[in-house]
Parts: sequence; C-alpha cells; structure tokens
Amino acid sequence: MNSPILPLIPLCAALALLGCEKAEQHSAQSTTPQQGGTLVYATDREPTCLDPHVAGDMPQVFVAQQYLDSLVSMDSQGQIGPWLATRWEVSPDGLRYTFHLRRDVHFTDGTPFNAEAVKANLDHMANPKTQSSTAGGYIRQYRATKVIDPYTAEVTLATPYAAFLEVLAQGFLGIQSPTALLRSRDQNCESPVGSGPFKVVRWDRQNQVELVRNPDYNWAPPTAQHQGPAYVERIVWKFIQEPSVRFASLQAGEVDVIEALPPESHEAARRNPDVDLIIAQPPGNPTNGTFNLRRAPFDDTRVREAFVRSADVEGALKSVYFGEFPRAGGPLSMATPFYSGDFEHSQDYDPARAAKLLDEAGWTGRDSEGYRTRNGQRLRAVVLIGARTPPSELTLWEQVQATTRQAGLELVLDQMSDAQVTARQAAWDYDIRIGYWNTNTPDVLRIIFTSAFVQPAGVGGYHQNSSGYADPGYDALLDSALATQDAEQRRQHYFKAQQQAAAHYLQLTTYPQSTRLGIYKTAHGVRLEPSLAVTYLYDAWVNK
Amino acid sequence: MSTTTPAVIDPRRERLVALGRRAAIRLGGGVLVLWAVATLTFFALRLMPGDPVLAILGGPSANPTPEAIEAARVEFGLDKPLAVQYLFYLGRLLQGDLGVSYSQHLPVTRVLVEQGGATLELTIAALALAWLLVLLLTVVTAGRGRVVGGIASLAETLSAALPHFWLGVVLLAVFAFGLRWFPPAGSDSVASLVLPAFSLAIPLAGFIAQVTRESLELTLEQPFVLTARTRGLSDLAVRFRHALRHALLPGVSLSGWAIGALISGAVVCEVIFSRKGIGRQLYQAVQAQDMPLVIGISLVVAAGYVLANILVDLLYQWIDPRQQEAAA
Repeated sequence: MNSPILPLIPLCAALALLGCEKAEQHSAQSTTPQQGGTLVYATDREPTCLDPHVAGDMPQVFVAQQYLDSLVSMDSQGQIGPWLATRWEVSPDGLRYTFHLRRDVHFTDGTPFNAEAVKANLDHMANPKTQSSTAGGYIRQYRATKVIDPYTAEVTLATPYAAFLEVLAQGFLGIQSPTALLRSRDQNCESPVGSGPFKVVRWDRQNQVELVRNPDYNWAPPTAQHQGPAYVERIVWKFIQEPSVRFASLQAGEVDVIEALPPESHEAARRNPDVDLIIAQPPGNPTNGTFNLRRAPFDDTRVREAFVRSADVEGALKSVYFGEFPRAGGPLSMATPFYSGDFEHSQDYDPARAAKLLDEAGWTGRDSEGYRTRNGQRLRAVVLIGARTPPSELTLWEQVQATTRQAGLELVLDQMSDAQVTARQAAWDYDIRIGYWNTNTPDVLRIIFTSAFVQPAGVGGYHQNSSGYADPGYDALLDSALATQDAEQRRQHYFKAQQQAAAHYLQLTTYPQSTRLGIYKTAHGVRLEPSLAVTYLYDAWVNK
Repeated sequence: MSTTTPAVIDPRRERLVALGRRAAIRLGGGVLVLWAVATLTFFALRLMPGDPVLAILGGPSANPTPEAIEAARVEFGLDKPLAVQYLFYLGRLLQGDLGVSYSQHLPVTRVLVEQGGATLELTIAALALAWLLVLLLTVVTAGRGRVVGGIASLAETLSAALPHFWLGVVLLAVFAFGLRWFPPAGSDSVASLVLPAFSLAIPLAGFIAQVTRESLELTLEQPFVLTARTRGLSDLAVRFRHALRHALLPGVSLSGWAIGALISGAVVCEVIFSRKGIGRQLYQAVQAQDMPLVIGISLVVAAGYVLANILVDLLYQWIDPRQQEAAA
C-alpha cells in the first residue's frame, strides 16, 4: 500500500500483554551471557536499501537498529535519554537545539563521531537526493546545523517542533559515518557504516545480510542491559517470506529468532516448550480504515459513527486473528506517549445506535436488496484493497462488510493493484482507505488529520491526511502541542486532540500493529528496542 | 559420415553451409522475439495505472516530500514523454545497458548475475532429476503388458498435471515440516535444493515420460531388438543399450521447451521455498513496478528460451539429416 500503510516506527514500550510475562520467563531460564557464536534471525520482508535514511520502510529500521546508534535514546516510559549526545539545550522559542556530544565514539570505518558527523547526517536526511520518505519527512522543520566546536552542534528548525527529540530516537534517524555518506546513495544502501554494536559485512540479496560484532563498541545507550561489545560474534539476518516456512524453520531450530510470527501459529508457539514469544505494540496510529470526509456518505459525522457502530470489529478479530489481536478503539495506540485510554470504547459495536443515527441522517428508505436509501440513493461505501493487502486484512473487512450490511449499508471491497490504489487515493476517489502509521510520537495526529497534510505531498497527488479533515481549531491544537516543551501541557493538548479525533469518527480503528518475535531455546536476551518495538540483538547471546 | 574422396561439391561442407544459414535465420527470429518482449513489457508496465515514482520511493511505507518525488522523477527519466522514454530505453538496450533497478538500487545486470546462478542451478537440477525419473520409469515399465504400462502411464499423466505450487507445499509439509529431512528454506546447501528440484522435476518428468514411453514401446517392437535378444543380452541391457537410444529423440526436443517451463515454474518454487533466484526477483519486481528489472529478467528468460530452442533445432538437423533435406 503506497500510502496509508505507512512509516513505521515503533516505540513499543508497554510491551505487550503476553509479551512482558513471557519475556520474564525467558530471562529467568537463561543463565549468564555467553560470548561468541552465530545468531540466525529470520524475517519476512527484505529491505530495498540498508541505509534507513533512504526511503524508510520498517524492514530497514530492523536491520539498522543493529548497526546504528542514535543521537538520543528513548526508554519504555517514553522518556528521552542520552546516547551519542550526552546532553542538550533547547532555546526558549523552541527553534534551536544545542547538542553536546560524546567524545569517545568512532564509526566502524575509523571515522570519528563529532559535530560534523551530526551535520552530515541531518543534511543527508533532508537532502531530496537521498529520497528519504520517513526520516526526511519527520524533519521537514529542519533548517541547518551549525558546528559550534568539534563536539557541540546547534540545530536550527523553521518552526517549533517539540517532537524533534522523539523522532531523533528512532532508528530511521540513526547516525552514519560521514565518510561513508560521501559515497553514492546506492553504494551506501549496500554497505552502510555506523558506530553500532554490529557492522554490516555482506548483503546476499534475497537470501541474507551478515553482520559481525564491533569489537570496539563501548557506547551503548542507558536502556541497554550491558556495556562493551555485543555478546554474539555474528548475526545472519535471513529473509524467509512464507509465514509457515518461517515458523517451521524456528521449530526445527534452523533459525534462532523469527519476526512476524503468524497469528495462527501463536498457540502452537505457546505450547512448544522450545519456543518463547515476545509480542509488543508499536506506538502511533493503529490499523484502521480512514473515512473520506470529502464526499457522501461520510461527509456526515452521524453516518461515520453509524458505520463504526454497525461494524462488529471485536467479533471479526476473534475469528480472523484467533483472538490474538486486541481491539484498538482510539486514534492512538496504547504504546504512544500521551496516549489516553478514555477513547477505547468510543467505537464499540452498537447496532441500535447505528440504526438511530442513520434514521436521523435521513437514510430512511430501503431498496429491494434491503439497503438503506436517501432520495433514491443507496447507502454505499467503497474501500480500496491493494494487491499487497494481507489476506487476513481482507477477511477482516469481509466480516465488517457482513455486519454493516445488517445496518443497511453496502460496503464494497474494491480490489486493485497498489499503483491503482495510489491513483484513486490521489483523486480522493474512495470512501475508506486502510492504513496505519507507526511513530513514537503523538504528533502522528498532526500528520494524519491536519489541513496541512490534505494537500498533495508531491506531484503524484499523494496526501497523508486521507480523511480530508480540515479544522482550524484542530490544526491550532496540534501546532501548540509542538510549541511547548512542558510535558503536562503537551499531555493536555494531545488529550484534546485525541478527544476531537475520536468524537468526529475520522477512522474505524481495528487493531494495533504489533512486533511478534518467536525465539528458539538457543537464543537468550533478545529484546525490543525500548523506544521502537524493533528487535535489538545487542544484549542477546546464543547457547548451542 | 562421408569419408570417401572429395567430389566437386563436398556434401559435408554443403551441409554446414545450410546449417549455418538456418542458424542465422533462427537467430534473426530470436532477436525479433527479444525486441517484442522488451516492447511489450515496457508498454504493459507503463500503461498500468498509477505513478511509478511512488513505487520507487519506499513502496508500502512511503512518506515522500515533494522534493524527493521530483528528484526521483528526474533521476529515472520519468518526466519525459513515453515515446521518448521508450526510444531511450531501446537505445540503451542495444548498448547492453539494462538500466538500474528502482527497487534494488543496483544495476539490473548485477542483479541478474547475482540471482541467475541460483535459478540456473535449480533448473539444471530439475531437468537432470526429471530425466532420471523418466529413465527409471519408462525403461523399466515400457512394453511390460497392459496393466504395468497402464499404471505407469496413469502416474505420468497425473504427475504432469500437478501444479508446482501444490506439489511444493505438499513436499514442504511432508519432508520439511513433518519428517524434517530437508530444510524448509534457504539457498545455501545441496539439501535445500532437493525439495524445490523435485517439485519442478515431477510434473516435467510426467510430460517427458509420456512421449518417451510411446517411442520406446514402438522401438521395442523393432526387429533389431529381437536380434539383440537372440544374442543373449539381458532384458535391461537391451532396453538401456539399444532401445533407449532410438527412443530418446522426442524427449530431447521436449527438453528445449522444458527450459522455458522450468523457469516459469522457478518463480513459484523460489517463492515457496524462499530461495534466491531470478524467479522470485521477478515476482517482487512486478509487485514493486520495478520496470527495468522486470524487463531485464524477461529478456534474459526469453533469450535463454530462444537459445535453447535454436540449439535443440540445430542438434536435430545434425543428428538426423533427413529433416534437413525435407526443409531445404
């Protein structure tokens, strides 16, 4: 899905439900960390470029987290801490960030880390030639970096951006060797260089990426569980696309860790004494169908709420995902900083209320097939389904279709190529767009719902606010949330923003995104990076 | 064959010239086929709705800035009219430049070099395995009466009808998930080659065995077979040493076609068994609307197919001069 299924940056955190409990069990059974050995990791999607600045898709950040360090870190409470920057000051107007840097860090190609490196990295992300979708998109406010002295960098922004430190903690904005960045983009895609616990040695396309331990590593973030070099000598990062094959490889012990454990295998994984699970929700905007407010029938809040109330999402999740995926009811995922639980039930199934709302909105007639009509028009909504939509997602919407039908609403699942989806989206020719947006800041509410993002982002006609919602009051609310560094004020602003988004029924939210790892008994200490629900193998070791 | 003194016109030389002419004509036809493949793929992909720039920029999770979109558009020449893009493209093709893959950020030729080996390995293994199965099945069972022949023939028809994806999944379920004899995924070891090779070879063996059986049964009725038997040769020796040679030709010519079929089957097998190779690469390139890569792979596959068929054709001419006379 070219669009709304979007950037993705997990912050994780409240690790999950079953996750925490399982993870504890795991650390209990493991003894002391062992040095050396090879950890084999298998995931579903292969990145198209290993440099996470370029484009910016989830598979890139999963690899990047192993070989890159970030300027700042984020802990599981959403608090920003030091990493490559030891401390920083923010100017009162929120436009200047002065970072004081560690002096003992060097990249794996020998280049020292300093203020010039910070400048080279931020410039690289902001440079259109990098074609950075995610990192570049998150620092649109970036103006310039001034090197005050070798270990002090001053970053200037165009407008106040309180979420700046949060996005800097994401692996997408990881710091690379400025020497390596001087090479062509395509060279850097293949063999990027960082200062992290591992370094990329070889990328055998469609097969695996090999990483080896960085023996000099001595600058782990405060969120890490040890200091010094990583425990495992080597990581083999394999690509196994088929979910059942990936899970079978784990059960056979051919691989030590798998990512994107299929929901149908969760039960089998729990019953298998050789396998542990880690399941965590990344922060951001949960998986959803966003309503197009620019045309009937969803230009009417009552019809939007009626649609939401007539869709039995809980029932659908139970049958499609075997109860493994919880319902997401509010505009933010639970793991997002400043998330409020108050809106979790604003989308509960309530067919009686749906019927009442549709009557009020004037959809009182019925046609021969039993659908509601108004002025001879059938109550009908079209959801675009791109070719890469997972089959389970499609089944979920089929279930929604079956329940909204009972309310007299015809839901059309329009299947087409991903390119067609993008074109239809650009032309606002849809009623519902399926998507999600993972990011570790509630500022996502600005990207997906404010009027600045209704405009096409480029000549392709792509727009991030696929609802078309444009409310000056809401825009001002999100801007003022960025203008203050005060946590309590930010909380209040973001609470109001969640309240307004929920009350206007801009989306049918379905389930939170999740990072799901299966871990074989040979691997220990595997964790998710606390600021992003991304695999972090620095503290891991193998026992074979 | 002619070892007599040279006449005014050396028949051997004449034959070579005729063969050369035929090869030239076939090669010319092959080039036309390749041009048609390049053109069709180009327009089919460009006429698909949607903007390739968004496909280039990060695919499923893109959040591109207007500047990034514009930069990509200029970089890949997508700001020019379609006809101009086509001519540029053909010009570069003639120079052997297949362009740069959008989705891999690599020259297409390098992708082909890196991925081609694995697919070649798989197709050759499958072809060899298919012939092994054919020989085992047909030589042993041909001409053994109605019941044996009928059962074997039924088995051949059935296996020829098996779809690769179904067979692949069944082999995985039984031998990788269930018995755990072979790894379910990967492309690094011989063990990981076994299941994909079988899933390609079994249907192909079904096809080849059908024609080979028929010609073998005809051969076994020939008088020279009886002669061989009267010399006291064992049954298997007669079948392998004498009858088989005559019966192989139809199967050999089918193998030329099989190379094309194997490559299309490789797309499915490489996806199911998570193997590297140009088949899986093609599948991903189509999804990502990565035009240079799709065209590059299509051209290489088409070239391989054309070349294999030309070779089989010429081989035939050489082996069986009667056909040449008929053609002349």
